[in-house]
Amino acid sequence: MTDTQLVLDRMTRVPGVRGALIASADDGLVVTEQLMDGVDGRAAAALAGSLVGRLVRTAENAGRRPPVFVQLRAERGSILAAPCAEDLVLIAVVGADANVGLARLEMLDAASRLS
Amino acid sequence: MSDDIRTLTARLAEEPASLAFLELAETLRRRGQLEAAGKVARGGLGRYPGLADAHDLMGRILSDQGDLAGAFDAWADALRIDPMRTGALKGIAFLYFRAGDVAAALDHLQRAAEADPDDVSIAQALAKVRREARGMTPRAEPEPVAPAAPVSAAVASPVAVIETVPLPQPDPGSPFAELEGGHSLLLVDTNGLRLAGSLRSPEGAETGDRVAAQLAGVSREAARATRLLGLGTWHSISVESADAHMVLVPPTAETILLAAREPSLPMARVALLAERAARTAKSWLERIQ
Amino acid sequence: MRALEPWVEAPLQSFLDESSARLTLLMTSSGQVVAQHGFSRSLDVMTAAALGAGIGASTEELARLMGSPRFEALVHHGARQSCLLAGFSIPRGRWLGLVVFGPETSVGIVQLFFDQMVQQLAAAAPRDQAPAAPLPENFERELDASLKALFAR
Repeated sequence: MTDTQLVLDRMTRVPGVRGALIASADDGLVVTEQLMDGVDGRAAAALAGSLVGRLVRTAENAGRRPPVFVQLRAERGSILAAPCAEDLVLIAVVGADANVGLARLEMLDAASRLS
Repeated sequence: MSDDIRTLTARLAEEPASLAFLELAETLRRRGQLEAAGKVARGGLGRYPGLADAHDLMGRILSDQGDLAGAFDAWADALRIDPMRTGALKGIAFLYFRAGDVAAALDHLQRAAEADPDDVSIAQALAKVRREARGMTPRAEPEPVAPAAPVSAAVASPVAVIETVPLPQPDPGSPFAELEGGHSLLLVDTNGLRLAGSLRSPEGAETGDRVAAQLAGVSREAARATRLLGLGTWHSISVESADAHMVLVPPTAETILLAAREPSLPMARVALLAERAARTAKSWLERIQ
Repeated sequence: MRALEPWVEAPLQSFLDESSARLTLLMTSSGQVVAQHGFSRSLDVMTAAALGAGIGASTEELARLMGSPRFEALVHHGARQSCLLAGFSIPRGRWLGLVVFGPETSVGIVQLFFDQMVQQLAAAAPRDQAPAAPLPENFERELDASLKALFAR
């Protein structure tokens, strides 16, 4: 199992995580993914990648350091994202009942290992 | 260009000597078009240098632009012409409060309250400043402060006063003036224009307009991401960085609110602050629309 | 945005709104233009359609020679703008889309909403009309009429 597969494997073991993927932040394309049925990895990569890019620019314009973790919370779940080195972004799609705290810790740890 | 701005611009073009510039500049300011507002106001001031309204308006625009020294001068000019002008008294009180000179802030607010006893916002500001005064430890070495009255003396060293700013505070017209962390709340419309509030970088520079421009498409992007991934309507975005905790919430479909705090404040608390500010923003928008 | 057939308009408009594409050209695989957005001169449309159809045909032939399935999309990355050329099949036949986009969007976003547009076009395409064959004797006349319609002249 490769490093990236290990990372995704650990993330998808967190309760409530429906899928995890690594995407190219600038292109919004999937690099590798591990998803449950019904989760559109391509859409997650493109849309979360684009949103994270905008939030990076927002932080930059506010004179702040770049984001290390982003949570987009919605009525039936969340999209979590952790930018990594080399223009990659780690993304997870989680249900409303997910343990977001644990998923966040896993993602921050994974992002630092992938960097 | 919106209809009201088009109408006001047309009216001003037809009658350049009219006072329509006041309404046009104020409308532009409220929409966050500060550069345009400043141009219109300066044009009007050139024609009417003795008009207190015009100096007061210039003060508000400069304050929104983060030029606090310029705002102080403009409000002081307004008070020279009309010593009981409440807008200018409140503006100068705000600047003194920012500079930590509570006594001068109180003095100006009391004069504003005397001039307009029915203005609820003045009473609220007075109550807030008095609360702060009670909880404030006196400084070891008091800063050189300008006497509160007469007004001409108060103008003596605005920059010296302003440069002692300990903590940014919200702009005088902000709906967030009474909220905790009001100095780092920003309300933005869908076109990326700042509606209210301000946002300072750690170095103290005003970044509100630049950040507002970046936030233009965030609401739309968040909505389509959650829609296409089957997650329903979006509620908030939390952004964690090494030196800030930021939360974005949509007070209405056409606006987005950013709350930013230091990372020492837990993200969940910043989210509560943002939700509270969003409710305030929603009420404020309903009042002004 | 202009389209020769009204049923193309809604899917294309939705794609343009979501993708932030700068230029878009929809054409048949033989290079007949069906819709365009962002082009200001008919000459540019003619050139882009001819080149797009040529590239589409040559990549299909390349795939056939290599024994691969058809290439669905081709992306050229540029520093200031990029280009996507993708083929797709709908009830009206085999079409090509040529999309030019800048750094304000991403190839992921463009591809995602391009595929959504293809699904919408496939659903909206009239099934009772056979695809118009580009007859050589009509070609000049049809091209001229198409360009006039696309540029509203």
